[in-house]
Amino acid sequence: MPFIFDSLKSAILLIFSLDRELLDVISVSLRVSILSTLAAGITGIPMGLFISMKEFAAKRFVITILNTLLAIPTVVVALIVYTFISRKGMLGSFNLLYTQTAIIIGQVILIIPILATYTVSAISRIDDRYRKTSLTLGASGFQTALVIMREARFSLVAAVIIAFGRVIAEVGISMMLGGNAKGFTRTMTTAMALEYDKGEFVLSVALGIVLLLISFFVNIILNYFQGKSRV
Amino acid sequence: MLYKIKKLVKQYDGRKVLDIESLNIKKGSVYGLLGPNGAGKTTLLEILAFILKADEGEFYFNNNPVQYKNSDLLKFRKKVVLVQQHPILFTTSVYRNIEFPLKIRKVPKPKRDKTVKELLEMVDMSSFGSAAGNTLSGGETQRAAIAQALACFPDVILLDEPTSSVDIENRAGIENIIRKINREKGITVLFTSHDMLQSSRISDEIIYVNNGRICGSIHENIFSGKAVKNGNEVFVKVYDNILIPLDTERKGQVRISVDPLRIDIKRESAEKKSGMFQARGNIVQLADADDKIRITVDIDISLSILMNKTLFLKSGLSIGNEVTVECPCESIQIL
Repeated sequence: MPFIFDSLKSAILLIFSLDRELLDVISVSLRVSILSTLAAGITGIPMGLFISMKEFAAKRFVITILNTLLAIPTVVVALIVYTFISRKGMLGSFNLLYTQTAIIIGQVILIIPILATYTVSAISRIDDRYRKTSLTLGASGFQTALVIMREARFSLVAAVIIAFGRVIAEVGISMMLGGNAKGFTRTMTTAMALEYDKGEFVLSVALGIVLLLISFFVNIILNYFQGKSRV
Repeated sequence: MLYKIKKLVKQYDGRKVLDIESLNIKKGSVYGLLGPNGAGKTTLLEILAFILKADEGEFYFNNNPVQYKNSDLLKFRKKVVLVQQHPILFTTSVYRNIEFPLKIRKVPKPKRDKTVKELLEMVDMSSFGSAAGNTLSGGETQRAAIAQALACFPDVILLDEPTSSVDIENRAGIENIIRKINREKGITVLFTSHDMLQSSRISDEIIYVNNGRICGSIHENIFSGKAVKNGNEVFVKVYDNILIPLDTERKGQVRISVDPLRIDIKRESAEKKSGMFQARGNIVQLADADDKIRITVDIDISLSILMNKTLFLKSGLSIGNEVTVECPCESIQIL
């Protein structure tokens, strides 16, 4: 027990001392996660909007595939991306492997299904009278899509927050595609795994605390928006 | 001609919900679309509003064929606006709701402000500009939705049961607005209703819809009940306490219609006659219906009777009189 308390105490001191290495790791994590969430949002939300508003033959099949992809392990995504960006891969000449861009690509692929399915679900709950009202008032298809997105805004923000939560906490993609290079691709989760391997628990626990605090903060925002969407 | 429709069909899951042989709508008039629930009125309005596609038929708007191309639909929709039976306002202020159609038509801000203000005044909601759209009552929402529709500067306004979810005070207000937008702005108005009195009051012409078809008149005094045999006679039991004789062998649940032109009304009690429907009740409403007077008698159910004006004047009947109503069972039709 004293070992746990000692680690916890040292970790808290490390956080308050604004340790350079700790700040680097947090900054890489936040940068990569925010960028991948934004990129996936730009793709996944319109994809979900298209699926929910258009009638096409394979609609149910596409939704089933997206639902299946929700459970895809991060290491599988990393492996697929690796085959493309490794030196021998199709995109090998771009030298993406072991860069933050590689992590972002993997994370985007990981959370697009989350954002698309949550968008489909959010739009399906929106009263069809909004669509009819917008159309009859003379709005185009695109303007009507914007109206519906506006009505579903709280649920869509919640979807983005859930997706962010998924990427900030993942380790497989960051480790396999980022390579855990100090100061460049070392994220909170990969740093924790490394410190654990080294038997250095202090930084690991400190990062764990920061990760939990971020998760707590994200959940507060999520609860706020979910509450709003029920009003 | 504003709308010209020929052999229009709309189906849902193989079931025909609309089958209109011919329908013409003239510019500048008020039309009442009258029919019972499930007659196809809302479907027809949505087709006329270009937000629902007909499966078959010829459809012309302002002499242009409607071919459901996206570019054409947008052009047509800018001329026609539908106010749904239970309108929904966007989750923003009433002001922004009314401003929306002006914004998408790229009307400059100063003109938008002026128009929204005028429309709020027209529907008697000047003080509601900053109120949230989703906090309004049924009547207020209906009026705000009409103002929103007027902001489209339409040629046609389609109103689906505009007074079905509002109280009497708001009902009169909405009827006034309908008259006003037709007279002052020359907008063609089509509204659905199952209230014959309201339709007669507001519209220049009534279109009857039943079972998805346009018909010459409409059944009135429609009741549902169980056909039961009592001796040699068959009766329909309506609301457990009213027995209406029926010339049929059918049993079980039936829907019947009593022809309002064939109901006799007199003050004195009548002797019981076989094959006649007889009941005592009070006159609760009198209304003008062209060359006739519509008398509503409460016999535990509301029964509508149409009486020649001359006969009515001679009868001296007035509201509150206790009367006997009777009609032969041949005048009762099974639907």
